[in-house]
Amino acid sequence: MKTWKMPKLAPIATLALAATLGLAACGGAPATEGSTSGTDEGTGEVTTLTEGTIAFATSPDYPPFENLVDGEYVGLDMDLGRAIADELGLECEYVNIDFDGIVPAIVAGGQADAGLSGISITPDREDQVDFSTPYYVDNQAVAVMSDNTAITEDNATEALNQETVRIAVQSGSTGEEHAAEFFPNAELVSFPNFTDCFAAVQAGQADAVCGNIAVVNQMLSEAYDNEHVVYTSATGEEYAIAVSKDNPELLDAINEAIETLDENGTLDELIAANMG
Amino acid sequence: MNSIHHHLARALALAMLVVAGSLACLGALPAPASAMETVRCTGRPNAEDDKSAIQGATESRITLETSLAAGEGIEQLTLHIPEGTSFSTEDLAVTMLTGDDLMTREEVSYTETIDGQDLILDFDEPLNDEGHLSIMVYGVYFPQAGGDIQVEASYVAQGAEHTLENIPTIPVVGITGTEALSQWLEQQPWVQSWNENRFLRLFFDPTIMVTSFPVVLNGFFMSIAVVALAFPLGIPVALLLAFMRMSKFVLWRGIATTYVNIVRGTPLFLQIYIAFFGLPLAGINVPNFPLGVIVMMLNSGAYMCEIFRAGILAVSKGQTEAARSLGMSGAQAMFYVVLPQMFRMVIPNLTNEFITLYKDTSLLAAVGVMELVMYARTIVASTGSITPYIVAAVFYLVITLPLSKITRHLEERALGHQTRRRTPVAASAASTSEEA
Repeated sequence: MKTWKMPKLAPIATLALAATLGLAACGGAPATEGSTSGTDEGTGEVTTLTEGTIAFATSPDYPPFENLVDGEYVGLDMDLGRAIADELGLECEYVNIDFDGIVPAIVAGGQADAGLSGISITPDREDQVDFSTPYYVDNQAVAVMSDNTAITEDNATEALNQETVRIAVQSGSTGEEHAAEFFPNAELVSFPNFTDCFAAVQAGQADAVCGNIAVVNQMLSEAYDNEHVVYTSATGEEYAIAVSKDNPELLDAINEAIETLDENGTLDELIAANMG
Repeated sequence: MNSIHHHLARALALAMLVVAGSLACLGALPAPASAMETVRCTGRPNAEDDKSAIQGATESRITLETSLAAGEGIEQLTLHIPEGTSFSTEDLAVTMLTGDDLMTREEVSYTETIDGQDLILDFDEPLNDEGHLSIMVYGVYFPQAGGDIQVEASYVAQGAEHTLENIPTIPVVGITGTEALSQWLEQQPWVQSWNENRFLRLFFDPTIMVTSFPVVLNGFFMSIAVVALAFPLGIPVALLLAFMRMSKFVLWRGIATTYVNIVRGTPLFLQIYIAFFGLPLAGINVPNFPLGVIVMMLNSGAYMCEIFRAGILAVSKGQTEAARSLGMSGAQAMFYVVLPQMFRMVIPNLTNEFITLYKDTSLLAAVGVMELVMYARTIVASTGSITPYIVAAVFYLVITLPLSKITRHLEERALGHQTRRRTPVAASAASTSEEA
């Protein structure tokens, strides 16, 4: 009996040690990798988590930017990611992470090389990650049920800013910030998935949904044609790719790829193809 | 100037009236050259616990939006930010929003000058377009004590200076104790060297730990409230199901068995989604919190049903027979003899079910119930540190660790009762197998 006591603890201790090491390794990996390649910009030598592959973190609930159709990643961002990978001579891989976890995942490293998920550049996020040159500009919109007579296009700015109004937003999004600043009296209901915000309005769990205009329009035209837009605001948010501050070589390489794609017209083609 | 404009407009309208009859009604309403008007003046919320609160001594942003009529010729705009509030011109954004829906953005070129608390914008070209002028000042720190902040503005249009009227105040709340503590910690050398380690900063950042604690605490109360209601309410549901499953009638047995099999055979996550997005579509509207409680109750009811059924079956048949021989009815024997013994036996299993249910409240985060995980998530999203998740883990362990200790104690006691009747060899064999 007594001899059993010690081995009983041993596996736990080993596990704990392994976990700590594993976590430490995850946290440390990008930093060490970043520092190994001290190449000048433009030589195209970049370090990624898996050699020969670039992994983008994305939250595929944001058509027409990223969405899963029959298990395939489709949308502007997804096409752009593949085009950038092509330019860099790398395989393109997508990692599915909820939107509010993408920037933290890029900061922590270990899960993906870059975040590509309709991420607007904000000063807060710039404190945490580096951003590529922007590839798209979007604004904010609020949609409600079409049969909602209390909130209309004419009174939206005031009608949305009421204590009785619940606005569905995606956790960690600029839509959440926008609603919090301009409709401070309303109650915000946060969802990890943007698609669920629309379902929540359908279900009466929320009165309105606030988010980027291109996505709101796409959702309304595809799935929720009984909702309509009552408010828009030209916030001019710039979408860009988030890269760890420890990997400036990758940022340079991505920026060069975006520049090439912009110059040869590919970017415009992709935008035209996805924003039908 | 204004009057000339008016005269011209009137003349034009008159001409149109003569020429085009009814069409003139539309043409006769030219926008009078009114002064610049305030549309809104807001601060960006920056508090962790209340998403729409603006607190002092924490980075924020001031957004001033004004409406301009065509041909106003704004040459200069001065923004006066009250004493005690600091700001920077880095990231300063000045944009004209034009078009019918104000959705066309035009960058405005200007030169900025700072004179004390005044931010002066000299526009390279006078602003003559109709639309909204949006000015965003970043790096704003409101006074620590809070208060209503009155931003003032004046502008020069066609050589004349005007004051911008009706600027709403920005309500700023005083900094909370934990926020102040966090900012103090940030200055401490040991915290700075602690945070230089990537691993420690990501998982155990002391500054984020103190700010996320009160926020995650809100979620803790929510999780506890859900489970404290769902669990006791689930017990009668489970008992009813257990009786139905042991009923002589095929129909009762069938209903209960089907229910238990479906609930135990599908993920709780899916059940939550169906309840939150499916039920309202079927016309059943239940608010967020009670709906969460109901789903958790129905789910744990199915699991506890099986616990109770096994417990009832485990009470020796002789107990019922003895009770019946004393003249008790079947129901009396069940309530006064079988159930009390059953409850004592299943307490460890019930405690485990309580622990599972408590942990599973985290799944409600997916449908907008602000519980533990959801609060932690929101801070993780805004800080990029994993620390709030660690704080959340502590809040789960505070409940689950003592409870599992109690369960273990109860199990050992139950085991002790049995082993006393056995030989010492058999008892030690039993306890070794238990440990393995």
